[in-house]
Amino acid sequence: MNYRFQFGVVWDNFGALLEGALLTFQLGVIAFGGGALIGLVLASLKTYGPWLVRFLVDCYVVFITNTPALIQIYFLYFGLPEVGVRWSNEACLLIGLTLNAGAYLTLILRAGFLSVRITELEAGQTMGMSLIQQVRYVIMPHIAKSIYPALANFFIVVLVMGTSIGALIGVDELTGQAINLSTVNYRWLEYFTVVAGLYVVLTFIASIGLAYLGRWTFRVKAKIF
Amino acid sequence: MPHLAVRDVRAKYGTLEVLHGISLSIEAGEIAALVGPSGSGKSTVLRALMGLTPITGGDVMIAGERMDYSSARAVRTARDRMAIVFQQYNLFQNMTVMRNVTLAPTKIKGWSKAEVGAEAMRLLALVGLSEKADAYPDQLSGGQQQRVALARALALKPQILLLDEVTSALDPELVNEVLDAVRKLAAEGMTMVIVSHEMGFVREVANKVVFMDGGEVIESGSPEDLFNAPKTNRARNFFSKIIRH
Ligand SMILES: Nc1ncnc2c1ncn2[C@@H]1O[C@H](COP(=O)(O)OP(=O)(O)OP(=O)(O)O)[C@@H](O)[C@H]1O
Ligand SMILES: [Mg+2]
Repeated sequence: MNYRFQFGVVWDNFGALLEGALLTFQLGVIAFGGGALIGLVLASLKTYGPWLVRFLVDCYVVFITNTPALIQIYFLYFGLPEVGVRWSNEACLLIGLTLNAGAYLTLILRAGFLSVRITELEAGQTMGMSLIQQVRYVIMPHIAKSIYPALANFFIVVLVMGTSIGALIGVDELTGQAINLSTVNYRWLEYFTVVAGLYVVLTFIASIGLAYLGRWTFRVKAKIF
Repeated sequence: MPHLAVRDVRAKYGTLEVLHGISLSIEAGEIAALVGPSGSGKSTVLRALMGLTPITGGDVMIAGERMDYSSARAVRTARDRMAIVFQQYNLFQNMTVMRNVTLAPTKIKGWSKAEVGAEAMRLLALVGLSEKADAYPDQLSGGQQQRVALARALALKPQILLLDEVTSALDPELVNEVLDAVRKLAAEGMTMVIVSHEMGFVREVANKVVFMDGGEVIESGSPEDLFNAPKTNRARNFFSKIIRH
């Protein structure tokens, strides 16, 4: 291998990379949070709604989970201006990622709904709980615990894979920032080596945070890696 | 006026009618025991009273007031008057003992947190579990979980308590601790409908025994009458088999 690594130029622009990493983290958290909200509503509708509503939820989930996230985001990015809607690149990415995460989280949360013990629901009913109260006090805490590991894994997927799509529509998240910088001085390998390291640091921090959150709030013994 | 009067109640699972007109009545402070072979509909009677299995005919009166089971909202009155303890405890597994007991009184009834908390401690002491307030159900034995379920039901201050085979899932050495808790309630004058296979216990606490078979009441009366001199063949067969063990 004759390539000579020259990291000096990368360090000079390290601040910009850190900014990208921060944006990546923010995008990941917001898209996941919004997706979780969508997922919660749709999983409830899928469980308790009339058949037409359940069918529409299925359509949404099938459409999203069977097409690449990149294509969905391109639809917003290239499609919306055609109908006169102008959103910033960040907004297209964020909305696209959120809608995408929402479908996957509907599936994950739905599995959680199905795993709730009918006996606990009946206990709740006999104590006078309405449907909403059962969701709030029995189903949610149960789901939170039983599917926590799946949720935590999916957060990492959104954080790493989801957000990096931003590079293709001009959002300066971590990957996008690396592409911008390396087109200036062609130190692609150096930039991407450092960026890979930053992603690992990011997911490591997130994993530890999630493991502790799970341990303290839901008594989940989550493994870190 | 009877505290609880059940008249000709019918109930269905889907299209299958499993209660074909059940009647029974008890005065305040009395205990009625439902006995009968497996599948005779004992649990279904309690489930129907709590609005878990749809009632398709007949009346349920509590202290002269007719219970309405026609909608999820209407059924809350019945659920307010009565509380049930299930055979399998049905505790909320993700919540501590304390939260299991206080959740419904604070969040559903909206009663004051401090008062509910104090009452919960009194009830946990009553069932002998004061030191387990912060434990989770999966850290408790079956007998302990069943006693938590009892405390949880009592925290709602029901007028009538329904107990469905509260000892049949327990190891023999744990049965007595639960029965002791029920004895205390009986002494406090709680009106109860219990389903039980513990005939010795039934004879001891019940004022009235209701023998069911095939979704019907075959015979009912005082424990002495039913255990010693059953009038029907079916009751005679059943008790002769059961009491021999
Ligand atoms: N969820 C259900 N769906 C359909 N049928 C049911 C259901 N639960 C009970 N049954 C039927 O209803 C009848 C009465 O059942 P129930 O559970 O009330 O009997 P039980 O007297 O409590 O019996 P055990 O002593 O075994 O608990 C039985 O024939 C049973 O098969
Ligand atoms: Mg039963």
